[in-house]
Amino acid sequence: MKRSDILQLLQEILKRQGKPSDVAETAELSAIGFRSLDFSELALRVETASGRPLTFDAAPLRAIRTVADVLDFLQTASGQP
Amino acid sequence: MNPNAVIISGGSRGLGLVLVKHVLARGCAVATFARSATPDMAALAKEFPDRFLFEPFDSANTAAMDTFVGKVFAKWGGIYGLVNNAAIGQDHLLANMPVEVIGQLLDVNLKAPILLTRAVVRRMLLGGGGRIVNITSICGQRGYAALTVYSATKGGMDAFTRSLARELGGRGIWVNSIAPGFFPSAMSSSLAARQLDTIRRRTPTERLCKEEDLLPVLDTLLFAESNITGMTYVVDGGSSI
Ligand SMILES: NC(=O)c1ccc[n+]([C@@H]2O[C@H](COP(=O)([O-])OP(=O)(O)OC[C@H]3O[C@@H](n4cnc5c(N)ncnc54)[C@H](OP(=O)(O)O)[C@@H]3O)[C@@H](O)[C@H]2O)c1
Repeated sequence: MKRSDILQLLQEILKRQGKPSDVAETAELSAIGFRSLDFSELALRVETASGRPLTFDAAPLRAIRTVADVLDFLQTASGQP
Repeated sequence: MNPNAVIISGGSRGLGLVLVKHVLARGCAVATFARSATPDMAALAKEFPDRFLFEPFDSANTAAMDTFVGKVFAKWGGIYGLVNNAAIGQDHLLANMPVEVIGQLLDVNLKAPILLTRAVVRRMLLGGGGRIVNITSICGQRGYAALTVYSATKGGMDAFTRSLARELGGRGIWVNSIAPGFFPSAMSSSLAARQLDTIRRRTPTERLCKEEDLLPVLDTLLFAESNITGMTYVVDGGSSI
């Protein structure tokens, strides 16, 4: 999946919760209210959209701080350049 | 029956190793297993040639586990105690967790100790009593994200403890659980220092558990004439109150 498509899915998750969704890649996840369960949902949406199973440990998630980290992680995990 | 033979699963390192050394120091014969040997296993075999046995195998291999129990019974003429300690940890959100990992957790943490207990109980019933201690976890009683299936196995073992205690109490076989809070080990190494700090801050005794904290409870459950069975003892510095 393209990075921009993953970002759009992330923004939709924020929007559905009534949180500001126009977020930059540099935004801190704690500042925009994007929590680990939101990450879990985003991963499931990426999995569904890409048709590729996507499973991972929780440990690397704890090092993720920004929107860019989320996109990097999911692009790598889903095998996309 | 030889009242001194105790099987402790997963005694190669971590809590299991502390338990093995402690029970050996009390003069018992100890048999343990794990998937891999550690230098401590060779050292203990040298120090206690007549009272220590280690064999490397995976507890998912039920035939190997059965053979091991038979060997311990034959070697020391009976089995007095069993400590179900071997387990694997988890660090996954359920929705994104590989299905195989769920199977492994259920096999190693729930099915294997139940089968090991069955094999041992069959000998204890013939021998006239015994003690079983299951090492569970505070996760069996409290909720922890990313530890869902692990928690289910530990809660399952606490439930197993209660029902087995009812089943076997009349034959002098007492069954209890010790549910530790978090302590530093290979298993808890996935917890970030920040998370361990949070647990420490929320603990009334202001420190994390260490393996040795469990020993007074183990001594009571394994060796004392206490009339205690079917109980789960939480050892966590009060963090769950
Ligand atoms: N650490 C904690 O914070 C904590 C908290 C509460 C409860 N507990 C419980 O305390 C007990 C000991 O934990 P620990 O932290 O000492 O763990 P640990 O350091 O990871 O040691 C686990 C032991 O079990 C063995 N083992 C694991 N899988 C096995 C398998 N499939 N077959 C045979 N042996 C196996 C390991 O050896 P191999 O890997 O070589 O097989 C090792 O000897 C566990 O029941 C755990 O659930 C731990």
